[in-house]
Amino acid sequence: MELRRPSSVAELEPAGNSLLLAGGTEVVPLLRAGILEAEELVDVRGIVPRGIDGRTIGAATTLAELEASAAVPDVLREACRLAASPQLRNAGTLAGNLLQSTRCWYWRLQWPCRLHGGDTCFARAGEHREHAVFANDFCASAHPSDVAAALLALDASVRTDRRELSLADLYRVPTQDDRRTTTLEPGELILSVDVPPCERSAYLKAMERKLWAFPLVGVAAVRSGGATRIALAGVAPVPWLLDERGLDAATPLPGNAYKLEIAAALVKRATAQIGA
Amino acid sequence: MARLIRTEKEVEGRYEEVWVVVEEDALDQWPTGPLEVVGRPATRDDGLVRARGEAVYTADLKLNGMLHAAVLRSPHARARVTRIDLAPALDLPGVHTAIGPGDIDVLVDECNYQGAPIAAVCADTLAEAQTALEAIEIEYEVLEPLLDSDEAVARGSVLGDPRVRSRGDLDRGLADADVVVTGEFRTSVVLHNSMETHQSVVQWVNDGVDVHISTQFIWGVRQEVAGKLGLPADKVRVVCHFMGGGFGSKNGADDHTFVAAELARRTGRPVKCAFTRRDEHLAAGNRNATIQRLTVGAKSDGTLTALGGEYVNAVGWSGWSSPVDGPMHLLYACPNVRSTTSAAKLNQPPMKAFRAPGFVEGTFGLEALLDELAAKLDLDPLELRRRNHVDFDQQDDRPFSGKNLLECYRRAEPHWERRHDVRARSTDVVKRGVGMASQIWYGGGGPPSYAWVRVGSDGRATVVTAMQDIGTGTKTAMAQIAAEELGIPLEHVTVAAGDSARGPYASISAGSSTIPSMGPAVRAAAADAKRQIVEIAEQRGNADMPLAEVVALLEDAQILGKGARGPNPTGMQVLTFGVQVAEVAVDVETGEVWVERIAAIHDVGRVINPLGASSQIEGGIIQGIGHTLSEQRLHDPRTGAILTTSFDAYRMPTIADVPEIVSELVDVPDEQLTNLGSKGLGEPPIVPTAAAIANAIRDATGADVRQLPITREEMLRALHEAEERQRESERRGAKAPV
Repeated sequence: MELRRPSSVAELEPAGNSLLLAGGTEVVPLLRAGILEAEELVDVRGIVPRGIDGRTIGAATTLAELEASAAVPDVLREACRLAASPQLRNAGTLAGNLLQSTRCWYWRLQWPCRLHGGDTCFARAGEHREHAVFANDFCASAHPSDVAAALLALDASVRTDRRELSLADLYRVPTQDDRRTTTLEPGELILSVDVPPCERSAYLKAMERKLWAFPLVGVAAVRSGGATRIALAGVAPVPWLLDERGLDAATPLPGNAYKLEIAAALVKRATAQIGA
Repeated sequence: MARLIRTEKEVEGRYEEVWVVVEEDALDQWPTGPLEVVGRPATRDDGLVRARGEAVYTADLKLNGMLHAAVLRSPHARARVTRIDLAPALDLPGVHTAIGPGDIDVLVDECNYQGAPIAAVCADTLAEAQTALEAIEIEYEVLEPLLDSDEAVARGSVLGDPRVRSRGDLDRGLADADVVVTGEFRTSVVLHNSMETHQSVVQWVNDGVDVHISTQFIWGVRQEVAGKLGLPADKVRVVCHFMGGGFGSKNGADDHTFVAAELARRTGRPVKCAFTRRDEHLAAGNRNATIQRLTVGAKSDGTLTALGGEYVNAVGWSGWSSPVDGPMHLLYACPNVRSTTSAAKLNQPPMKAFRAPGFVEGTFGLEALLDELAAKLDLDPLELRRRNHVDFDQQDDRPFSGKNLLECYRRAEPHWERRHDVRARSTDVVKRGVGMASQIWYGGGGPPSYAWVRVGSDGRATVVTAMQDIGTGTKTAMAQIAAEELGIPLEHVTVAAGDSARGPYASISAGSSTIPSMGPAVRAAAADAKRQIVEIAEQRGNADMPLAEVVALLEDAQILGKGARGPNPTGMQVLTFGVQVAEVAVDVETGEVWVERIAAIHDVGRVINPLGASSQIEGGIIQGIGHTLSEQRLHDPRTGAILTTSFDAYRMPTIADVPEIVSELVDVPDEQLTNLGSKGLGEPPIVPTAAAIANAIRDATGADVRQLPITREEMLRALHEAEERQRESERRGAKAPV
């Protein structure tokens, strides 16, 4: 396998069998597991901006840098802090975190599930205690990104090398016709994320141990201009924005209704924390 | 003088009658309390070497010409291999040879658990071997797996007959009771997760074989390999100098050693066969799941009248039925006890011993049930346990060699008293409470075990024995014992261990037995050396001549002392005891549980190295917290395939999960036991942790948790059940006539 380090977007020239990576904390384990395959790895850190400039965060900014910056809203800093161990936060980047794959054990173990193009969601009939409680009738995988939930609550937007789109539009619930969970085109590169200002924000996370686990439920709450937005991690195949129906729209499976109880408690607390 | 005796040998709660040659232990015990070296904290002799990365573990070994093996393991819980072709693997770069079912008996074509070894390839590099595995052509007929323990027992898929243990009359005991409490408890499969995965490097040398292996039992591996390969035992050399943990999972040679041996034989090269981390989650052994259906009957003053247990050990495809019923028969005074323990044979990876196997699980059920009884009788849980204290082994009607559990309870009092303050720190959402549980377990060790002590003219001594130090600091403890007996500084003692060709037979490091088995032999050897030194001094006309002056006369001559572990006390039960007091917090809205403090007081006889001992206690408690709150191997309920094969899915505690740990040891020698009076401490600290935490949760919330791990789901379920019970009793209360 070759590693290439282009220094401009023009040099990117992604081939069909090349993979983009930055921190590598997600791509490398997936390569080693055989879930991703590539003949060439393209390190995009020479191209993608890194650092914080006003409301704009370079997509190659590490989670550790975001966590330490006073310019970043509390919800995002806390989501970064709780995302992973210090080693991973030092290497992992903002865009990499947004694009990470589910921790669904069936998917990670390469069962021929719907997300892998098959015709069964093994989790729905199997072991789904940590799986999705929303939008789970086709695929019950849960999206693990704390950071994505924070940015969704912040109503952030994403700029790629081709277009600008809202963070919500970066994701899609997989369907029979299209199994992808993001709307990025092949080779499309996230360059930066724009974060609108907010008055107060908070991120709360429930895990099966004190630290360094993926969220059973993560709750991001943001108050901005009198409006409150609440987004959840770990509860749907994509980061999940609560609408006016709130948690009542959930469709828990037999083995994961308890996640809604946790979500209700954390939503109440996060809402109280931001004074909404 | 050597003497042949028939004796009962115990390892981790399993007994067998064996003949052993023992040498009488003629030494008087040292006085109680810290001595010059023994009983004082000593840092590990190899601590720096390990910390610097200079220690060579089996995993670090690179022998000249060494090849790497990779093992093809069954992806199915139950399947038959209908076709296998190794040839395509042989054509790949770097590959030397491949073996499959029929070549050696550990490779199978009837796969009864995921991870069962089917074939193996060896190549110049591990990557080449792993690539070659994928080229093996293989087809399976996938069969319906048996996964449910109760179903297995009902269908007769069991290992052996159920174990029935009984004394008195359980029914009469229940009839005599003022209060009867029942409960069903469940525990889950958890993994050893040693830092060093299971591995061996095997090399054929002349007409014998060298086995470098990460093992808890050098001499057991030697015997097993010799038997299976048809070699005289002296032609098998087993080496393990540094070892990255075992916790009971490395007591045997295991499949990988025989894979390496066969590949080494075929290629004429040394071969390393190492479990990958993913293999380790599948087929390296585990603590098996249990179901415990328990009954306790008591008088209104708390006196136990009956204890009953229907236990199921979900053993997996093979293994043995751990003594999950042990605490019920040993821990408390009770005239009527009956238990039945079935061993369900399932299409799941085989269990192995795991740090106090059975007693960890059984103590959780029994001690949680006892606290439910205490709540029902409105009795203080500590007082309930005192009232049922027993000073002899009721099962076999024999005395304990030594027992200081009441002293442990006494020392636990200040920790137990904190419960009022701890509870007072509760809020509407975060409830705090304190719970306790008693500990009982084996740990007396036994013969045979031998050591030699060599003293040179420089006044330095070397302890020679082919034992292993599995990371517990055993070598340091042995050096302390030799230094104490010889009256020389600790720094003047070296311990040469870890090689069956370079020292006498030594005990297994399992069942908390290394210190109680090896320690007395080392002391006897040092005493033998000292006796010879004194004899020389007497020949010089001064029996009190300092050791350094006597040995200075030796030049190249050496004093060689030899020592053996004497017998265990006849007709006595040797056990370890203790108590732990846990302080926990429960978020009653989210089901989060965290442990804030654990005080551990254990009675293991004389303590050789208090620093090593406190490390053992901390390690046991941390591992226990993992088993109690977050660790669990999950499988797919339909296919039996293991789902948690990496550390993001299988959650061990992190440093943030570790509470304040206060450890205390009674440190009184067991007068009946050997020249040291020491028992082992490797396992006792993990025994009561789960029960103490569960009981603290009840104290905090009134909720009865009934399964391990106590996930948020289980915690919320127990809280809802408690709320429902509360509502029900209020309804009944309202209806009751005034």
